[in-house]
Amino acid sequence: MTGYLLRRTGQSAVVLAGVSVIVFALVHLVPGDPVRLALGTRFDQATYDALLARSGLDQPLVQQFFGWAGRALTGDLGVSFRSGDPVTLLILERLPATVTLAFASLLVALLIAVPLGTVSALRPRTVVDRAATVFSQFGISVPDFWMGIVLILVFAGTLGWLPTGGYVPLGEDPLGWLQRLIMPAVVTGVVSGSVITRFVRSSVLEALGSDHVRTAEAKGLPRRQVLTWHVLRNALLPLVTVTGVQLAYLLSGVVVVEIVFAWPGLGQLALQSVQARDYPVLQGAILLFALVFLVINLLVDLLYTAIDPRIRR
Amino acid sequence: MSVQPTPGPPPGGTPPAETPSETPAETPSEAPGGSPGPAGGRTATLRPARPRWRETLRLLAGNPTAAVAAVLLLLIVLVAVFDEPLAPQGANEIDVAGRLQPPGLEHPFGTDDLGRDVLSRIILGASVSLRVGFLAVLIALVVGSTIGLLAGFYGRWVDDVLMRVMDMLFAFPAVLLAIAVLAVRGPGSGNTALAIAVVYVPIFARVTRASVLGVREEVYVRASRSVGAGDLRLLTRHVLPNAAPPIIVQTSISLAFAVLAEAALSFLGLGTQPPNPSWGLMLAEGRGYIELAWWIAFFPGMAIFLTVLCFNLLGDGLRDVLDPRQRTLMGGGGR
Repeated sequence: MTGYLLRRTGQSAVVLAGVSVIVFALVHLVPGDPVRLALGTRFDQATYDALLARSGLDQPLVQQFFGWAGRALTGDLGVSFRSGDPVTLLILERLPATVTLAFASLLVALLIAVPLGTVSALRPRTVVDRAATVFSQFGISVPDFWMGIVLILVFAGTLGWLPTGGYVPLGEDPLGWLQRLIMPAVVTGVVSGSVITRFVRSSVLEALGSDHVRTAEAKGLPRRQVLTWHVLRNALLPLVTVTGVQLAYLLSGVVVVEIVFAWPGLGQLALQSVQARDYPVLQGAILLFALVFLVINLLVDLLYTAIDPRIRR
Repeated sequence: MSVQPTPGPPPGGTPPAETPSETPAETPSEAPGGSPGPAGGRTATLRPARPRWRETLRLLAGNPTAAVAAVLLLLIVLVAVFDEPLAPQGANEIDVAGRLQPPGLEHPFGTDDLGRDVLSRIILGASVSLRVGFLAVLIALVVGSTIGLLAGFYGRWVDDVLMRVMDMLFAFPAVLLAIAVLAVRGPGSGNTALAIAVVYVPIFARVTRASVLGVREEVYVRASRSVGAGDLRLLTRHVLPNAAPPIIVQTSISLAFAVLAEAALSFLGLGTQPPNPSWGLMLAEGRGYIELAWWIAFFPGMAIFLTVLCFNLLGDGLRDVLDPRQRTLMGGGGR
């Protein structure tokens, strides 16, 4: 177990190192001088030199990389070309909004997917099963930004029940927080929920067909007991994996929904930094996303090993 | 984190028939495939029958949802090819007097803030969206499958090196990786295709590798090797054709994702640039008028949704026909 844990963690560390090289290379792949691009057309030599020196772009490449990576390890991701603020600070400011939306969406997704997927697997070829199929096809195929715009049209425009977008912290205005959270959480929740529904359905079906369930039924256990102890417990295993992957996606992949609902999260920050050619911020955001993705996947794998001893190698 | 080496799809022969339509198999389907039938017992053990596309089509026709999706997709592609003659108006025919007109007889989908006909722009935008999607998937398919084929076939350090690099690409969130590529390369249709391709290369590599691992140790591959076939011959004649079904399924699903991603990137202002019509861009332009003129954003979104839905349904249908064992491998949509 310890060996597996170490090997798996080491693997993630290697991938992270590679990722950091790619992220670092990003700025250097941009044709032209990133500092000049960031400053625009009107600037004087002194400003230019100052920014160049502060961002370390005047040093040799290898030295730049190790300097940047070393500082990143201590939580220092450099300063924004635009505002001069530390990138870490800019990211921390946006983190609460992104984390809130991610967990709210995951909650919506699981609330839809677990009951729908389970019931549709237990009652195949019924109305519920068909509804689950239609729902998951819809969620996988619908453009999330379009669904967001349609929801805004209906619930903010026609009905006037909810604000069109924005964000207020929970501590300041709990009702306003909830009102602004509902629509983006439903949009991303439906998208992820549709993926999870398919997984729940197929893993329940698989568990239903397994030998130990047949044995349990053969020895005359009540159906309810078979379902909870033999089917659902085993069907939950794949759910851990897919939920982890979806959480990683929700923490990083909801750029477009954040834009539609003017949600001040990390995706919005990343897009703004692309538009402003603020490469240190973009680098920091991408590095953080990749780190989150790797850590969640690592945790999921380890958790999986803990609950399913068969995986241990 | 590697994809589990699932037992490969049954080599050649008739695909396992799970679909209800089991019409008595017609024998003529053997002749045109160019593959030797089971007649010569000796050759049959050496050279497996290739997946027969006619058989696939026949089985697909027995799946109504997939068949309807395929027909709709064919229509969408035809619209994209014959867009100029089909569109009632040009993409950028501005008519300020007739701006923001609701859907009606003259303009079935209404007009936008510059008086441009929304239906015409959707028709003309189809070719942009589809071209970017097809190009992106083609790049990802060629590059990713080659990597997966080499990694799966040669194993050892080739596998380790290639797949660790794929893991690195895979660690980036999809949309953000595409955004980063566009930040480096600048906006535009060609770069959008490249950005989407970069996202999908590791997925094709994984799917191909997993499939190749299942085929690599099959009897016909070992037999062919033992009679002295070279690597190139093994790969092209035996491994690739038999590892193909999951790759074909993945291609259809990836097309859905690519069309969706093109729309999303154009919506963000990083993909197709105005005044070119692209579905995602039209949605972005119509967003500001949503309460005044809902049709500007609604219909392009509908076009994206239908196209993506058809690719996904076709992908599901193909999976049922070609590769029933891997039904849950990717979970669909790549999201």
